[in-house]
Amino acid sequence: MLHIEHLKVAVSGEIILKDVNLTIGEGEVHILLGPNGTGKTTLLMSIMGMPGYTILDGHISFLGKDISSLSIEERSQLGIGMAFQKMPTVPGVQLQTLGGLIIEKHKNSESLDDIAQKLNCTSLLNRAIGQGFSGGEAKRAELFQILLQRPIFSMIDEPESGVDLDNIALVGNALRELFERQLVKTKKRSGLIITHTGYILDYLNADMGHVLMDGKIICRGNPRDLFSDIKVNGYEGCARCEQP
Amino acid sequence: MMSEKYLREIKSKAEAAYDKKATLGPDIDLTEFSVCSPHEKIDSIEKISQSMKEAALYAGIDLLDTGNAATYVQVDRSAIFEKIQRAFQGKLEIMSISQAIEKYPEISRYYWSLIPVDFDKYTAFAELCQTEGYFIRIFAHQQIDVPLQACLLMSEEARVQSVHNLIILEEGARANINTGCASVKGNKKGLHIGVSEFYIGRNAQLTFTMIHNWGENFHVRPRTVVEMEDNSFYSSTYVLLKPLLSLQTFPKAILKGENANANFQSIIFGKGTSIIDVGSNLMMENRGCRGNSVSRVCAADQSKVYARGKLVSYNDEAQAHLECKGILFSHQAEILSVPELEVYGAPQSRLSHEAAVGPIEEEAINYLRSRGLTKEEALSLITRGFLNVDLPGVPQALKKYIEEIIKMTSQDLM
Repeated sequence: MLHIEHLKVAVSGEIILKDVNLTIGEGEVHILLGPNGTGKTTLLMSIMGMPGYTILDGHISFLGKDISSLSIEERSQLGIGMAFQKMPTVPGVQLQTLGGLIIEKHKNSESLDDIAQKLNCTSLLNRAIGQGFSGGEAKRAELFQILLQRPIFSMIDEPESGVDLDNIALVGNALRELFERQLVKTKKRSGLIITHTGYILDYLNADMGHVLMDGKIICRGNPRDLFSDIKVNGYEGCARCEQP
Repeated sequence: MMSEKYLREIKSKAEAAYDKKATLGPDIDLTEFSVCSPHEKIDSIEKISQSMKEAALYAGIDLLDTGNAATYVQVDRSAIFEKIQRAFQGKLEIMSISQAIEKYPEISRYYWSLIPVDFDKYTAFAELCQTEGYFIRIFAHQQIDVPLQACLLMSEEARVQSVHNLIILEEGARANINTGCASVKGNKKGLHIGVSEFYIGRNAQLTFTMIHNWGENFHVRPRTVVEMEDNSFYSSTYVLLKPLLSLQTFPKAILKGENANANFQSIIFGKGTSIIDVGSNLMMENRGCRGNSVSRVCAADQSKVYARGKLVSYNDEAQAHLECKGILFSHQAEILSVPELEVYGAPQSRLSHEAAVGPIEEEAINYLRSRGLTKEEALSLITRGFLNVDLPGVPQALKKYIEEIIKMTSQDLM
């Protein structure tokens, strides 16, 4: 579904991703791990096509098509979606208004109210996007939009950070629903999730974990095993890993 | 009839001020325009032409909707249609100003009482070459929840329409008045002068909405003063989203009574070479007066928008806030925010202001694009959201209608 080869990306003139290779197949959910500042969010932003993330080398293909020159909205229309780590403020635009437009744009038949209720977002619907949202509210509102969009490939940047323990289950169950629901009979949704805490692994059957350090994926494996190792040895242990 | 002496006095003052330039806004050569023509009265709203109905609709007046409490339609210099729904007869009056002058001798108490006839050349012109206007009175303790609508249309090229409007809300009355002023499609050049004097009695509440939709070579000069008695409430919403040559208005609310509460909202989109000078002036003369002056301004192309706000307190416990927010869309556009706060011997007054002018954040646009919206759709959505301000006192249905007007006219904004 997603295939990345030798990706090199600069942000404000500084090279952040040096040589990233990654393949995510249909129906697969991958986990991206790595210390702060190693380029995890940069990778997601580059796949989404956000301005300011300059591809210097390599290419990104999605569903067999090179998407490097496509606009953000074209990528979205192709089926790529992203729940952002930090929700921006969009003054005057209510979450409900955008939710309605997402359903319309992606020709989905989701019930906005049902999904809002599932994610404990009903009280946020009449508020301007991001305005005065707590960390947990912003995360739930991001996932609310992704559930309305139902992308073929979802990128979720730190879904559990800032979310209190009461709402972790909400977030986890929402992600499980997102990835477990069949798109059509033959196709399944895929995803790439950044996590620091690993809580989300309790709710998802993730297929593969990757450790990104110093702009490269230096280690791959079972996500639970990787997480256990990191808990014991830290990311330095990953750096010593022999698996390319 | 008003006394001959009074009429002679105001006429002579007007003649003396015929060349008096206004202190704000570009000066207009009045000789470029001739006075607009009279039209026949009609007995049914269905007889209004399709082009006029369309023009009215873009100014927030639905001439197909017969559910309004009362309707006044003026085309050029003639009041062509006035109607009060049966359920509201005896509760309010709506008629042309000339009829009102004829019918009520006591009107001189209100006529040119709040606005000096010699304020500037435009007020003088409105007296010397008056082309009608509406008179609305809500009788004491009548609460009219269904909106009333007044529509002033201009159909002829290069004419001047100079109306004098009078609204009186007697003690304890309550009303929502929706006014729309527009030029009919194809009429690109003209001058509209509107003198409006509003009186809001004790415990009365007026929610007033004005939407303008003029041709691109129009000049517009409204002159509005509102007098408010004890515990009265006034909410004014002004909307201008289409390009014109120039508009200058600085409506004033005189809060004479204790605890009077005035709120002004201006929603402005400057386009083309428009020069727009708008604002509001709250004169809080009594104890416990309150108010808000809020403006949302967008300036594109080569437009220049002045957003003024003046809060003046003469008495203690006044509380008022001034807020101006603007978005500039081009390197040639200008937004000038001009706040003034004045307090005279009232140390317990609290007046404040905040202003912010800046671009639409790229981050917000890209965020919406990541949900599948094009850049143009994202800009339009953010602009609409920015212009949709909270409108205190405005009924939900009218709020939705203003949102619709913003939506209708913002579709081709970008």
